[in-house]
Amino acid sequence: MKRTVAEINQKIKDGDVVVMTAEELIPYVQSEGVERAAKEVDVVTTGTFGAMCSSGAFLNFGHSEPPIRMQRVTLNDVPAYTGIAAVDAYIGATELKTDDHAEYGGAHVIEELVSGKAVRLKAASSGSDCYPRKDIDTFISLNTINQAYLFNPRNAYQNYAAGTNSSEKTLFTYMGKLLPGYGNVTYSSAGQLSPLLKDPSLRTVGIGTRIFLGGGTGYVAWEGTQFRTNVETKFGAPMGGARNVATIGDLRDMSPEFVRALTLPGYGVSLALGVGLPIPILDEEVLKAAAVSNEQLFAPVIDYSVQSRNRKPIKHVSYAELRSGKIELFGKEVRTSSMSSYLKARQIAETLAERIENGEFLLTEPVAPLPSDRSSGTLEVRSKEEAV
Amino acid sequence: MAKKKFMLGFSPAIVNEAIVYRLVKDYDLKINILRAEVREIGGRLLMEVDGKASNIKEAVKYLDEAKVEVKELVNYVEKNEERCTHCGMCVSICPVEALTVDRTSWKVHYDAEKCIACGMCIDACPPGAIKFRI
Repeated sequence: MKRTVAEINQKIKDGDVVVMTAEELIPYVQSEGVERAAKEVDVVTTGTFGAMCSSGAFLNFGHSEPPIRMQRVTLNDVPAYTGIAAVDAYIGATELKTDDHAEYGGAHVIEELVSGKAVRLKAASSGSDCYPRKDIDTFISLNTINQAYLFNPRNAYQNYAAGTNSSEKTLFTYMGKLLPGYGNVTYSSAGQLSPLLKDPSLRTVGIGTRIFLGGGTGYVAWEGTQFRTNVETKFGAPMGGARNVATIGDLRDMSPEFVRALTLPGYGVSLALGVGLPIPILDEEVLKAAAVSNEQLFAPVIDYSVQSRNRKPIKHVSYAELRSGKIELFGKEVRTSSMSSYLKARQIAETLAERIENGEFLLTEPVAPLPSDRSSGTLEVRSKEEAV
Repeated sequence: MAKKKFMLGFSPAIVNEAIVYRLVKDYDLKINILRAEVREIGGRLLMEVDGKASNIKEAVKYLDEAKVEVKELVNYVEKNEERCTHCGMCVSICPVEALTVDRTSWKVHYDAEKCIACGMCIDACPPGAIKFRI
């Protein structure tokens, strides 16, 4: 059985495409078999809604009268990067409000913009002949701003470690609150619904792939930062953080339902973002990979009290175990918590399936593939000579 | 028999009173202290009280007369349903399983009956959906 993206798109236009969410596909393949399912199903949709720190928005404010070349910009008192053209800025999700106790940041600004709220823009400049203005204090919203789009360097991680804590004090981490003495385990991936886990070698995903992003439509822009392929696999899927994608999409299409600011006390601010990927079932191999279940997907359990980049996993556990609410660690039952919302992951996969069925969302062929062989480099303290 | 939860507030003038002892001895109440805090500016006691409804009523009257601030706790913690993403971060943090996730709908539920107002979930909730009512 072979199928092309063009054939699938024709079926979408004709209104007879067969779409299933990755969750629905699992029991279907178990009862009907791979061969039959591959014949029947054209597209499998996936979804995830989790903390994605490496996210942010490019904003172009439009020019003021007289014009200003902004050199310092804050949005609701959160600094934005403006070392680009006059009225361009980038607001990063984890940037914190000045004089704040790490509770409000760029992610909140982004969420407020997506919610249609007004955000206070303050900018300062030293002034120049072509940009005489030295400061501006005004309000912007998605209705009045010239352009605003998310451009996220790292989204939809293909699997991620689960966190625990062997120490005697509570740890406040980007994996949430980790209780002392292996008091709990937190994990992040949506497992059997997670986009890149369902096409583990990225056969159908590449630069230009159209995706669900924050409630609207987005695209894969590039490989994500810290993209790596050299991760041990089981049932074809990596057993730890591996590939990920840089994404781009217009903020105006997005919804606060799928763009949510998070505060992680003791760590900072992050952005929970909904990402969904449609997988065109090109052949049986693609279908087989998309039908892998939580019982066959594994995460390493990492002790976050070890403050080193070389942490060895305590063990690997399946997403079925993690989702059951407790796992076994050193002969003791430890309760688990998910950082990402499975409810929203499911809603994303279902919404994407509906959009495809309604002919509102066509599939894409990658413009270029993402790397097939890549490891992630480290940072060392080196002399000028050693660095080259 | 009835079970109720109360928060008691003490001024510095009465921190030396053996209030819990009186509640046990005079009103035959089973007291489970959930949280206690005594400082120079006064104190706060969070407790679960188990006993005859009429005795609990009398005990509250006694506390009022003794100038102890009494507040019955009904819904101590509030979960903002619009803000909650149902991720479940609070679930493994809650020591009494007042916060649980339904493994079919994958929604997180809050059970006020079980809650002991320990506050562990408040700073564990990334979208900030859980707040103290007190």
